[in-house]
This record gives sequence, structure tokens and C-alpha cells, in this order.
Amino acid sequence: MKGFPWFGAVGALLIAAAIATAVLAPQIAPARPTQLDLRARLAPPVWVEGGKPNHILGTDNVGRDVLSRVIWGSRISLSVGAAAAILGMVLGSTLGLLAGYFGRWVDAVISWLINVQLAFPFTLLAIFLLGTVGGGFGAVVVVLALATWVNYARIVRGQVLAIRSRDYVLAARSIGVPTGRTLWRYILPNTAAPIVVVASFSTAQAILTQAALSFLGVGIDPSVPSWGAMLNEGRDYLQSAWWIAVFPGLAIALTVLGANLLGDWLRDWLDPRSVA
Amino acid sequence: MTSVPMMNRRQLGQGAAALAVLLGLPRGSLAADAKPVVIASEEDVSTLDPHLIRNNHPIGSVIWSVFDSLVRRNADGSHEPRLALSWEQAEPTRWRFKLRPNVKFHNGEAFDAEAVVFNFNRMNVSPYNAESQLWPGTNLSKVVAVDPMTVDLVTSEPTINMLYWLEEAFVGAPKYLKDTAPDVVSANPVGSGPYKFVSWRQGDRVVLSANPTYWNGAPPIKGVVFRDIPELSSRINELKAGSVDIAVGLTPDTAGGAKSGNSRVVAVNGLRKMHMGISFTGIAPLKDKRIRQALNHAVDVQTMIDTLQGGMTKPLASIVNPPNNDPSLKPFAYNADKAKALLKEAGHEGFELQVAYGRYPGAKEVSEAVASYLEAIGLKPKLEAYETGRFEEMLKQKAFKGIYYYGWASLINPSVELVILTSDAVDNSNGYNNPDYDKMVKTASVTLDETKRKVLLKQAEDFIWDECTWVYLWYLPEIYGLGSRLNYPPRPDDYIEIYRATLTG
Amino acid sequence: MSFATFMVAQTTGDPITLLVPANATEAARAALRTHLGLDRPVPVQYALFVLHAVQGDLGSSFVYKQHVLDLVVNRLGATFELALVAFAIALVLGVGLGVLAALNRNGMVDLAVTGFTMIGLAIPPFWLGLILIIVFAVRLQILPVSGSDTAVSVILPAVTLSLQSTARLARLLRSSMIEVLEADYIRTARAKGLWRCRVLWVHAFRNALIPLVTMAGLELGDLISSAVVIEAIFAWPGIGRLAITAVEQRDFPLLQGAVLVAAICFVVINLVVDWLYTRIDPRVVLR
Repeated sequence: MKGFPWFGAVGALLIAAAIATAVLAPQIAPARPTQLDLRARLAPPVWVEGGKPNHILGTDNVGRDVLSRVIWGSRISLSVGAAAAILGMVLGSTLGLLAGYFGRWVDAVISWLINVQLAFPFTLLAIFLLGTVGGGFGAVVVVLALATWVNYARIVRGQVLAIRSRDYVLAARSIGVPTGRTLWRYILPNTAAPIVVVASFSTAQAILTQAALSFLGVGIDPSVPSWGAMLNEGRDYLQSAWWIAVFPGLAIALTVLGANLLGDWLRDWLDPRSVA
Repeated sequence: MTSVPMMNRRQLGQGAAALAVLLGLPRGSLAADAKPVVIASEEDVSTLDPHLIRNNHPIGSVIWSVFDSLVRRNADGSHEPRLALSWEQAEPTRWRFKLRPNVKFHNGEAFDAEAVVFNFNRMNVSPYNAESQLWPGTNLSKVVAVDPMTVDLVTSEPTINMLYWLEEAFVGAPKYLKDTAPDVVSANPVGSGPYKFVSWRQGDRVVLSANPTYWNGAPPIKGVVFRDIPELSSRINELKAGSVDIAVGLTPDTAGGAKSGNSRVVAVNGLRKMHMGISFTGIAPLKDKRIRQALNHAVDVQTMIDTLQGGMTKPLASIVNPPNNDPSLKPFAYNADKAKALLKEAGHEGFELQVAYGRYPGAKEVSEAVASYLEAIGLKPKLEAYETGRFEEMLKQKAFKGIYYYGWASLINPSVELVILTSDAVDNSNGYNNPDYDKMVKTASVTLDETKRKVLLKQAEDFIWDECTWVYLWYLPEIYGLGSRLNYPPRPDDYIEIYRATLTG
Repeated sequence: MSFATFMVAQTTGDPITLLVPANATEAARAALRTHLGLDRPVPVQYALFVLHAVQGDLGSSFVYKQHVLDLVVNRLGATFELALVAFAIALVLGVGLGVLAALNRNGMVDLAVTGFTMIGLAIPPFWLGLILIIVFAVRLQILPVSGSDTAVSVILPAVTLSLQSTARLARLLRSSMIEVLEADYIRTARAKGLWRCRVLWVHAFRNALIPLVTMAGLELGDLISSAVVIEAIFAWPGIGRLAITAVEQRDFPLLQGAVLVAAICFVVINLVVDWLYTRIDPRVVLR
């Protein structure tokens, strides 16, 4: 193993906890996430002076239970992150593989696409698209995938460029192994490690970016409880009612940490050289 | 000799940059009393052309400092002579203004009747006529220089709103405006106001310095900086750190945290009337007056004010701002049972209702609270958030189907306030259309007899209040954080008149 | 590229409705439309835009009434300043920490570095920015809250902006360095008894740099893009806020200009990255 073995376990634990929270939200949340009570607004967490036992993590600026919102918010953050990472991975790795292997016009076209994509400053693109199309779940996933596919494509293309002239690939081609099989059998395994590494970053990045978009006010419809929206709601309260933004921030950080740790562990586990 | 030499655009940019460096570097070396007053706002200054004022603050506040108009609106809605010394309505369609002599623009040009003629005519051509409302607002048809210090404004119809629209009709140095490229004009304003323009770093700051030869005496504060700080907590933090003297746009919840040894908080009852607009172009139930009354009874405005607004404002009691409102009108009482009964009576219960909001400060919380009250009377509110540009488009296309959070007009002029709900008003965003109401407002606006006009206006005011075209909320509280070295009474209409401020001690 | 922006911009609504006050007359609106050239057919508008663009004229902003190129270049400088300072921090810290961790693999230093990068990657940057402001500018009062008027103003936004990049580069360098150190040719070199430092620098570091160069180019682009959020928090007068305004106000010329200029910068960065590739890894041949 290359990293610290127990890091993987911590990551798995964090992700498992996050998924369990999302799945069991209706069972474990103490209150409805949209239930508001103006008279009970800005109540601090239970252990702080003035805290109320029915709001363990306090209430937000319209008196909703922060704990319940964090629990329900996990659904949006996790599903958006995972969906965006997978969509970006499928799109990006395929294009990167094709570009690196075939070269010539295929590479030219895909590299042009990559450059077009890279040439758009992503945040501006996201503000532009989500601002005009509106911030539905699908729209946010597609926009986030648009942000990540290039990472896969470039890494995979670079990797393929570096290995396609290696002896074993040249040998396979010279003895007439079909293109599809060469890609699948000899090239793809050598790109798997970087793909997994990028995927671990991308899931985490998608969760963070989604939060940033919500922070800018163009993410998922802010009336749906999500961690990003909660950060946005809490931004003006950091000094007076820190719990509104701190707990969803913590939830984001722990989930992203889990995704990254798990990705690292997967990478080490998948890397043929470290298994050998 | 002009103080702004005719340079090409690039040279001008370098000059401004060099100045900014000069102003920025020797911060510590300036004496404490010379430290400029810094005003921090959420919004960016986009253009400084005197005839393209897009908002009261910060653009309007800068323009008010650099330019003068013939008359100026006081905080209480009365008119104060500025570049005009006196005026009279010589005939119903002719207003005569005597001008202030010996006024000079910052570049040395002299102010006279021809300057007024040039500026007012400029407001009537594109692109300035799209922003400036002087001509359509007053039915102005001709501007005549009678003699160097007298100007006549001729209108096609009698108008009661001449002074109101003149307040924002600013007069710039005519020769400079005529001979300079528009993009240079919009970045380097030359007026006759209490402050001279020094530099502008876009997206960051506009720097002004006192005009020592101002006709009303040099203003007490010598240097003013308008800064653009979009993040609310950053504005407050700068205020507490003493690097900002006026923090604009505080919220009731952040007001407490903005008080410190360096700062205090001042709230004025604003004039912007916050409401949930009710669409007349959307779902059928909203066209029934009983439903609209039910919505007004369903929402506990006083509790929302006590909590979300920190008790810093009052419920709306008219769509006409004080002091011109009818005091006999009273806010709708919170009564969920009555609301439910009205729904039942009208035969529309449990319908789905779009509750839309844009990205205005506080819009989300208010809309969420309103939605929860509507849920409590059995409706199915559906919250929808809109990006700013999209929200404005929806308003202008009257495209909302349910109710939407909006604020109308921080101004003090009953006829201008009432006109927005007439059917042909382009900013009638909820599509209210009632010929009777149109007639009342129209008749009032051409009635020159003040007593008669007041009766007509009151009639229209009472009528529209009863129609419930809005879910009435409150006046938007204007909350300012002020540095402790500054004496300044904020105005209720967003403008900051920094030349009226003084430093303590 | 410019065509794509142009078309997307065209489909998002009529700028006139947003440019004028709600009570502007229809005649004034029509006149403004003509004044801005929006009354011409869309293909003609685009042809004129391209024709002027190749001559270095990106037109006038609807909102700011100034030449787009001046506006964009003015603001781009501030964004680049912020992004480059953040990039320098990320590069120095990232490479340093990564190499350090790889050389002390599985030791305490490695654990500390890995822990730092993990936490660094997990914290939302804008959230960190707000916390840093409270700690360093409000409580300790040793750094300015926001703005760009003094040289130290850049510290907080640049540190905030660089954190993610630092962590990513450190991780990347650590893993590629470990990979290279394990590779056969390094083992061979060591077996041949080459001096350790020489192995490290000539062989290992040089090879470990290949993924770094790919990543570094992306990072710089990413920094410029991420700066949009950070600029808002720290009131940094960069291009991000200009572009947000342009989007909100449907200021087509400004939006097109901002995207076009940003795109040219990205293309230049990518060319440099490709060129660096060939310098570091002789196996890659540019075609």
C-alpha cells in the first residue's frame, strides 16, 4: 500500500455514514426540513447557552431545525456529486482514450473540444447556463459534468500518449490484435489508476462546486434543503449564528474527505504495480 | 483653462491609474483628519454619465455629489433650490426658472441657460432618453433660454410633476459633454456639484474630492471614496475595523453585530414598499378579490416584522408613501380562520400557488415564511427562485403566475406612486387592468387645483388598497452602519448626500 | 468559440428590457435598440462583431458605456495578479510538500502532509475565506478585510484561493514521485550506485514533473475560474465580478469580450503546457 492503510477505512466509514444518512433521512431526522417557526429562529445548539433540547444543532434564520436540514441535505449533495462524477467520467475517459490512441483528426477534433471547453472559464459558464436555464437537478448535474470531463479526457489522453508507443502496445498491434481489444486489454488498464484518482477528486469537486454555485445563488433551487443552500443562508450569520453555516460546512468537508480517502485507497488497490 | 485636458482614452486611463497609485500609497502619511470618508456598497458603479443614472445608490449618490440639478428633493419630499433660484408656473404649460448666477463647472465652464438647454436636450436623444425620464415624465416639449439666467420649460400638457422630475435632471459641463467621446464622459464626469471627480477604478472605488469653489461653500468632508464591497460581512468587518465610514445595506439580523467601538447603526423607515405582487395574468383564483383578501389575512405580517425584520419597520398601510397617505387605511389583520372562510366562500380551496422570489437581500426568508402561512390555510405554495436578470424579465413580461416578492418605489409623490397599477403603465408587473382606476389616476394627474387633486388621489388610493393587488408587507428598513467619527442623518430613499455629513471633533 | 458564446447570449433574452427603467417609453426603447445595433438581423450582428473583433475592437459595453477591451483588460490584470500569487503559493507549497512526503513515505511528515492535503481539499474555499476574514482581519486585525489598495491585501484572497490547488499539487507530486521512485530505471540507477541526489533530481523529479505540468496548466485555469467566487468575498476588482454583472444584465458585448479574452489566455496557457511536455518527456512528440 502506498498511503496509510487506515485512511481507506476512515474514508469508507465516512461515505457509508453519509449514504446511510441520505437513505434513512425520513427515519432519523427529528423534524420536517421545511418546518419553520419564526418565533424560534436563531436558537443556538443545545450545548450552548439558550439552546433548546428539541433543536440539537440549533435553528436557522427562519426557525427550521438545522440537524434535520443537514440530514435531508445529504440527499441532494450526494446524488448530485455522484451523478456528475459518473457522467463526466464516462464522457471524459472515452474521449481521452480515443484521442490518445487514434491521434490524427480524432485527436484534433477532441483536443479542439477540450480546448473549447477549457477556454470557457467554468464558473462563468455555470453562472451563465444555470442563470438562464434555471437550476434544476439535471441542469446542475450536466453543468458539473461539463466541468469534470475535461480532467478525465486530458489525463487519459496524456497517459495513452505516453504508453501507446511502449513495446507491449506496439507488439500487440504488430501481431494484429484488433483495435478494440488493444484499447480494452492493454491501454485501458493502464489508465484505470489515473481515472480512479480523477474520479475521487471529481466526486468531491462536484460536491464542493455545487456548494459554490449555491453560494453564488445559481445552484439547485435554494428552496430545496441542500448543504450548499444552507451555507448560502448562513453566510451573513457566521459571526452571530455560526451554527447555520458551520454544520453544513462540516458535513461537506467530511463527505469530501471521505470521497478522497476512499479514492486514494481504491487507487492503491487497483494499481497493478503495487499489488505485485 | 479646463482642468480636464483633452487626452485620448489611453492617456486618460494612465492618468487615472497614476492618481490611484498616488492616493493609495501614502495612506499612513496622511493626517488623521484628512483620511477620506469611505462609503461601502453592495453594488458596482457602472457608469457616471449624469443622464444614465441606473440606481439611487451608489450611482445616484456619486452623481448627486458631482452634479447639481435645478432643484433638489429633500429627505421629506419638499423641494430645495439648487441651480435654480426660484420658479413659477407662468402658464399651465410653461414653467419659468430663474438660474443661480456665478456658478462654474469643475473644468471652468460657466453655468447659464444655454447649459440647461443643452443638457435637457441631450436627455431626449438615444441612448439617454431610455434612462432619463424628464421628457416623458413631464410631457416636456421645448426648453427655451429666455436670457442667460432664465430658462422656460414648455410642456405639451399641464403637468403637476415638473419639480419631481427635475430633481434628477442633472446638468453637466455642456462644452465638455459636446466635445468628448461618450465613453470618456461616462468615466470622467464634470459637473458643478460639491465634489470633483478624481478617479475611478472599476469594480473597486470612485474617489471624489471637495470642490473648494462650490457656490454653497466647500463641503466639510474633503475626500470621499465610494467602495464596492459585495459581501455583507466584509462591509461590516471593514466598518468595525474603522476602514469604512458608511456601510450600506445592513440587514436587521446583522445590525446588532455591526455595533462596535468604531461604529454604530442607524435605521430609517425606508420608503420602498415590500409586498408579494399578485398576478392578474396567471391562475384564475387570484382574479377573485375575496381570494386576494384571504391571502392578506393569512399572512402574519406583524410577527414577520418582529422576527425577520427585527421590529425595525412598520406594516404597509397604503400604496402611497407617507406623508401623503390616507391615515384612515389600516393594515389587514392576521386571521387565518377568516382567510379560510373567504377561500371557501370564493370556492377555491387548496390550490397550488407559485411563490417566486429573486436574489434580493432577504427575499428567500420572506418568501419561505409567506409560503408557510399559506400552507397553514390549506394552499399548496410552490417556492421558485429566480436569477436576478430572469426575475426582472419575468416582471416586465408580466409572466409570473402566482405571487412574487417585490418592492416598489422609494419616492414621495402620490400620483407617480399610483400610476404603476394603471393598465398602460409599462412597469405594471402584475397586469392589473381596471378602466375605472385608470380614469381616477389620469384625472388626478392633470388636475392643477391642489385641493381637488388631493381628493381625487385619495379616492384612487382607497380604491386600490381595497382591491388587494398585493399581499401587503412592510416598508423596507434602510439600515446603515456609521463610523463613530461621522455625523450623518441617512435619507429614506437610498441616496447618500455625503456633502451634508460632518466629522466629529 | 466566439460563435457559441454569441449564440448562447442571443437566446437568453432581450437586453433592452434590462437596460432601461421599467417606465421608459416604447419609442426610447426602439431608439436604444437601433443605437446598440440590436435591430439588425442576428447574422449581420455576428459578422460585424467578428469584423470588428479581428481589428481589436470588441465594441462598447451596454451597461458601462465603455470600450469592452479596456474594461476587460483593466479587470483581467487584477484577476491575473490574484491567480498568479495563488499559483505561486500552490506551486511552491504543493511541490515542496509533495516531495517531502514522498521522501518520508509513511513517516510522520508524510502523515502530516497527507492529512493537510486531505483537509485542504475538503474545505469549501469560500467558506474558508469567510473564516479567515473573521480570524485574521476582525479578531487579530493584522490583515485588511477586503479590497486591493495595499500590497498585503492580496494575502488573504490568494491563500484562500490557493488552498485547493496546493493540496491537489502536493498529492499529485507525492504519488507520481513515489511511482517514479519505484520504477525499474530508478532502481537500476540506484543499483548502479548513482549518487542519491542525482537520481532524485535528474531522473525521479524530472519524470514526476510530467503529470505536474499537465495539472499545473489546468490549475492556473481553474484558479482564474475559481477566483470568481473569491473575488466576491474579498471585493477584489477582477474579471469575475465584471462577468457576473454582464450575465445578469445581458450585456452581450461585455460578456463576449470577457469570454473571448479569457479564452485567448487559456489557449496560450495550454500551448505553454504542451511545449513544456516536450521539454520534459522526450517520448512525447508534438505533431
